[in-house]
Amino acid sequence: MKNKILLFILIACSLAACNDNKWLKEDPKNIITDEQTWNDPKLITSLLANYYDRLPHLHGVFYTGGMTEIDDAMWSGHRDQNWRNEIEYGNDYGRYWDYGLVRDINLALENIDTYSVSLSEQQKNRFKGELRFIRAFVYFEMVKRMGGVPIVTTQLIYSGNGDPSPLQVARSKEHEVYDFIYEELEAVKEHLKDNNTSQTRANYYTALALESRAMLYAASTAKYNSLLPTPIALEGQEVGIPVEKATDYYKKSLEASKEIIASSRFDLYSKNADKGENFYEMLNKKTDEVIFAKDFKSGIKTHHFSYENIVKSLTDDNESSSTISPSLSLVESFDYLNGEKGALKYKDADNKYIVYNSISGIFDNKDARLYGTVIYAGTTFRGSAVNIQAGVAEWDGSKYVLTTGANLGDRYTDGGLWTGFDGPRDNAQDVSNTGFYLRKMVSDAVAASSRGTAADNWWPWFRLGEIYLNATEAAFELNDASAIGYINKLREVHGGFAANSLTTLSLEKIQNERRVELAFEDHRYFDLKRWRIAHLVWDGTETNADAVVHGIYPYRIVRAGHADDGKFLYNKIRPTRFKKPRFFRMANYYSSIADDVLNNNPKLVKNPFH
Amino acid sequence: MINKKILLALSICIALLSACQYDNFDEPDSTLKGSVVYDGQAVGVRTNGPRLELWQDGYALKKAIPVYIAQDGTFSARLFKGQYKLVRKADAPWLAQLSDTIIVDVKGTTNYDVEVTPYFSIKNEKYEKSGDNIKATFTIDKVVNSANLTAVNIYFGKGFLTDHNRNDAKIGVNLSEITDGKEVTITATIPEHLKNENYLYLRIGAQSNASSEYCYSPSHKISLK
Repeated sequence: MKNKILLFILIACSLAACNDNKWLKEDPKNIITDEQTWNDPKLITSLLANYYDRLPHLHGVFYTGGMTEIDDAMWSGHRDQNWRNEIEYGNDYGRYWDYGLVRDINLALENIDTYSVSLSEQQKNRFKGELRFIRAFVYFEMVKRMGGVPIVTTQLIYSGNGDPSPLQVARSKEHEVYDFIYEELEAVKEHLKDNNTSQTRANYYTALALESRAMLYAASTAKYNSLLPTPIALEGQEVGIPVEKATDYYKKSLEASKEIIASSRFDLYSKNADKGENFYEMLNKKTDEVIFAKDFKSGIKTHHFSYENIVKSLTDDNESSSTISPSLSLVESFDYLNGEKGALKYKDADNKYIVYNSISGIFDNKDARLYGTVIYAGTTFRGSAVNIQAGVAEWDGSKYVLTTGANLGDRYTDGGLWTGFDGPRDNAQDVSNTGFYLRKMVSDAVAASSRGTAADNWWPWFRLGEIYLNATEAAFELNDASAIGYINKLREVHGGFAANSLTTLSLEKIQNERRVELAFEDHRYFDLKRWRIAHLVWDGTETNADAVVHGIYPYRIVRAGHADDGKFLYNKIRPTRFKKPRFFRMANYYSSIADDVLNNNPKLVKNPFH
Repeated sequence: MINKKILLALSICIALLSACQYDNFDEPDSTLKGSVVYDGQAVGVRTNGPRLELWQDGYALKKAIPVYIAQDGTFSARLFKGQYKLVRKADAPWLAQLSDTIIVDVKGTTNYDVEVTPYFSIKNEKYEKSGDNIKATFTIDKVVNSANLTAVNIYFGKGFLTDHNRNDAKIGVNLSEITDGKEVTITATIPEHLKNENYLYLRIGAQSNASSEYCYSPSHKISLK
């Protein structure tokens, strides 16, 4: 009994002595506290990397499927995604409502103010500037798809009193969101100058580039919406920018574009003397053309764009390839170097096939960007010749009979090639269905098309070519004489046109130039929207060459004893796998807001047509 | 012994399986049927195009029930018994009446024709075949004063479902030939690739500047042989 009491006293004493013993106190190894995070530039940078990675896009960031949902291409990959060839843009198509990301950014901004004590003011401002740039980018994505959205710049905290109404923020006017984006960028751009050497982090020029694009969108949306027979608008201007604001927006856009161009920080890429290769190289390599890119790195963060889209016979993998088949209408939008419109000449006035000596003859003297954007018959990729030939055209005494081999790579009875290893073949999978493959942004690095290695070329968020076109358009709308200089410079450096190839400018010309220069870079859907021509270009009718994806197939002529024997002709086709013309309805100009969002916030008004 | 165990296992399985029910709700058993009508006549639309929306009050969360309209202007929806609000939406060939809600009591099979105000209406259409030509006679009425006619087309289709997006040929009508409320006769040549068909479906569509959707006359079958 005595012993027990003694033992008890001993334990009690030793426990009491433990109090405040430092060696028992340790920082947890599995939790990073706010104090640690917001005082360590490395931790903040890695957090920022997460936010940069979540920057939104619709058909961008190597999203192969999205790129085949408009008129620039069709889907020729696995059949389980053939629905992209008959897509109906639903009321929710392009819906984007990411207040999760907005909240994360707001939280980060507040935490820097609360917890950062060891960072210099300059460091803090730079991080905050980057966060606010990302937030402006997110709001731009929302406003161009949804119209005016609620502007939330602080954390919304529920008080627990049963009344959620302080958390329910109403929609701002459409133009207020654009104004917010501009003001934010103006406020932070000076703080971002420390990042000016980076092309993958927000910096002074990135802010200007976003201003250039966002203000152009605001301006053209205001102007061309007002020119619709029935402008799309809501009473509270959540949708519908007053037309008188257009001029001011055009001016702001032009100013930003001019400053980027004048800075000489970036170059219209021109290092390769071969203009076609040059245009391809611009985005295949990490070049000074690019203002802001999403970075990828072999072994750490890669993408499968080459795996999905490389020419069939050149793939390093055993599946996929050839998913994007670029459309004939895209190919034809590339002008001839003499300024002539780009329609391909495959039949003459008497409806007879035109015969070419070489299989690539029909593409001769075209804008060099065609070569840099798509792969057509008779060209090379990664140093290897592509094997594109649909079949043979045999003369039966009165006309040409077009036949195709049973298998890719088959030989015809005369011993020559029947159908190439790269097709094209109608109604086939993983081979071009239009006669074209994608070259732009498909990396030619070693093993880039294998899933094991994959590709690591940049995704270009902004590049100088776009800024030139933004400048052209804004200046054109402002009747500024400088407009034509920008577009001509771009056509000269990237397209291989002679200097000052255009003498007059029209909106149609600018629209076509944007389609050509910026194909597959997530611009066209939004461009057509802001010019309010999407419902006309994609009107859902079979006879509309832009609403329907077409192809053009090369055939080798078999006509023994005739001068044309061994030459080539082309035949235009409508791919079987392309089911339904693109159809953009008025309701698609602004996506619908989700029912659960409307339920949670009764202050939100619905978009027109929804 | 073994038999007993198997029997026991079996009886437990049977008890468990028979206890399962797929659903504890009955499926909706009421039907709302009707047409979109103007002036007592159904208004033809594009297949899979314009739609109506139903809403129901009394629940915390709301979600619209889309009601698709068939090409001849009819619709039907399988619903639970109850009171619904019906909304005529925009992006249709008629005036959007978003705040002018219609209240419908659905019980059993309920017939309800929804009155709409189309921008234009096509009536008294007649078709006559003479040789390789089709003579179409019709009247287009302006219903909404602020609307202007932007396109009138005659559609040829091999199938019943013929409209602006789904047709085998379309022939545009010169708008100067059309006078509001007056009968017009248009002679259209049957396109070469349709001449050898046994029959064709014909339809007239009119579009106003107020909406991208056309309104249509009923699909009319005409035999060529």
